[in-house]
Amino acid sequence: MRRMTWMALICLAGVLILGGGADTVWGQQKKLVFWTMWDQNPEFNKWYETRGKDFAKKTGYEVEVVTIPYQGYEAKYLASFMGKSGAPDMFMGMTHHWCGQYDFCEKMPADLEKSWDENLPKYMLPIGKWSGARYGMPIEHGNFQQMYINVDLFKKAGLNPDRPPKTLDDWLAAMKKLTILDAKGEPTQVGFAVRSKGHPVGITDKFLPFAHAFGARMLSPNLDKATGFANSPEMVAALQFFGDLVLKHKVASLALGNPEDAFGQKRAAVIFRESWFFGWVKKNAPDVNFKVYALPCGKACPGAGALFPWTNLVYKNSPNKQLAWEFYRFISNAKDDQEQHQLQGILPVWTANLESAYVKARPDYVSTRDMLQQPVPPTYFHPKSNELATAFGEAVVGVLFGKGQPKALLDEAAAKMDRIIKD
Amino acid sequence: MRHWVRVAFPKTYMDRQRRAGFLFILPAVTYFSLVFIVPLIQSVIGSFHRTVPGGTSQFVGIRLYEKVLTDSTFWTAVRNTIHLLLMSVPTTVVLALVVAIGLHRLVSLRWRNVWAAMYFLPFSASLVAAALIWQWIYDPVYGFLNYGLSLVRIPPQKWLQSLAQVRPSIALVSVWVRLGFDTMIFLAALQSIPGEYYEAADIDGASGWQRLRYLTLPLLNPQIIMVCILELIFNFKIFDQVYATTQGGPASASQTVIMLLYDTAFKYFRMGDASVMAVFVFVTLLTVTLLQWRIFRKPIEY
Repeated sequence: MRRMTWMALICLAGVLILGGGADTVWGQQKKLVFWTMWDQNPEFNKWYETRGKDFAKKTGYEVEVVTIPYQGYEAKYLASFMGKSGAPDMFMGMTHHWCGQYDFCEKMPADLEKSWDENLPKYMLPIGKWSGARYGMPIEHGNFQQMYINVDLFKKAGLNPDRPPKTLDDWLAAMKKLTILDAKGEPTQVGFAVRSKGHPVGITDKFLPFAHAFGARMLSPNLDKATGFANSPEMVAALQFFGDLVLKHKVASLALGNPEDAFGQKRAAVIFRESWFFGWVKKNAPDVNFKVYALPCGKACPGAGALFPWTNLVYKNSPNKQLAWEFYRFISNAKDDQEQHQLQGILPVWTANLESAYVKARPDYVSTRDMLQQPVPPTYFHPKSNELATAFGEAVVGVLFGKGQPKALLDEAAAKMDRIIKD
Repeated sequence: MRHWVRVAFPKTYMDRQRRAGFLFILPAVTYFSLVFIVPLIQSVIGSFHRTVPGGTSQFVGIRLYEKVLTDSTFWTAVRNTIHLLLMSVPTTVVLALVVAIGLHRLVSLRWRNVWAAMYFLPFSASLVAAALIWQWIYDPVYGFLNYGLSLVRIPPQKWLQSLAQVRPSIALVSVWVRLGFDTMIFLAALQSIPGEYYEAADIDGASGWQRLRYLTLPLLNPQIIMVCILELIFNFKIFDQVYATTQGGPASASQTVIMLLYDTAFKYFRMGDASVMAVFVFVTLLTVTLLQWRIFRKPIEY
């Protein structure tokens, strides 16, 4: 009996070993694994797999896309990069994090670098670079906030949706007209959909256009100092203005939850978001009649800046990194760029596509051009940008929730940011 | 050493018995070591090193302890955690005791089981799923709770989006999730108390309150202590509910220690700082648990 048991176990082990081997040899297609956390853009992600099938005809390698939920994606990326065996060959991420703060990225081959540098709009050239070397392919043109307005709510409030407010003063006046208060003075419809929930990094991102419009910047030009910048008089004025939208003028509300939902549900007439939001509204709130305009200006214009410069990267320790670059080379052309972005309703990246029929037909064509004509705002591609933006965002959200005055909270945040930079 | 050789190569019957015993506990010891002891040791070592994930690690002595323990954000998170804990632990334990006593008094075994199952159901749900359900219930615009309040003409509340209400709201979710588990423990303990004690109390003319005060509660002492310790640990380590609903907001009002630890480790990639927080949580829980055990636990014999 005992002998039989051992025999059975040996047979089972044999089957498992052979089965495992068969899996890799015959059962599965060879593939490159691509990780993305852009879970709001499924069509865009799926395109890699579609194009991967064409790539397989040439190389035998298909592409598998794994979508990591955005919330907490850093932990999953980090665990896989450190573990090596479960890591992807290619991934979407921010260059200054994964290639700057850490050394997880492979530098882009020279020919591909040349190709990208020649075909990107000028303002995007630094995106994907770290210490002068290119690691990543930028994937999102229009990765800066623009003003989406609800045309019907504008008309209902007696405003002309074809003549949007161009200055912050006019904008505030319009927001007041668009806000409807109930008998107790609480807004049932607001002018502006403010971001107050979630991680402070996101809140910082949404506040920065206001800061830049007031002529403020979060960090020094060399990104080595926060005090004197994050708590400058201009920043204090910007945060006062931002807080007053909720606390004094009540043209924005903390009770309406997710700002995108509030806009989609017609509870908010205006939202500031990036080019991908056009596709999101079309899909999730098709009955919202909207137009897109450049952000209003204050002392300065906010300009086309992004806190999250997304790029496609190659994992340094991937055994397939040469093939990964080969795949990127395969899709690095104007046609693919347009096709992939059009599928999801995002603006393409290549200069050749910026005047294409698809881009010209988009509601944000003119506004994107207008935004790009504004001076380029400060960028904060610091390896510790998450932590710095969190410290800063805590001050912003603190003001929104009435926890303190802008000056005191920004002084505290600036001191903390300096400690983070020095540490 | 000789002892281990005899376990490995048994010669006598007793040696074989020892080997069998050792083999029985080996899977549990292996699991416990790999899952708890090794990470704990790594955390302690990590708390003295500045580590760049995928890069170098440098010994920095107690510098990270100084840094973390003087950081106001850390102490805010500790305060929030204690606040949550003070709201949910006593509420859960007292409510569970009340429910268990109520269920114990039910004569119909079938109804007792039905009610017990109903109380236990939330415990079997995933914490994240439970948190998401409550997020919907608490929604200021579409939430069921505000709808219920509107029926009795109470104005809508902001719940998870209010600095004052966010912690009580999260504490309520914890109570809802944990109530069934604690109730089951108390119910099992109540059922094991011999009926003769109550008969004797009846003969002595004890009132209901006296029976509870001088019989039931003292006899439940080990279970009450155990439940309190479990609740303390569960609530001190609260993460899922906060992560799924508020992510520590609004304005850090629900930022807990574990939430901050998670952000520090996996958003800011400061493994050393996060290790200091992990050691802090471990030492705090160990100390409080031992104190609770030593001060309140009384040996009970039926």
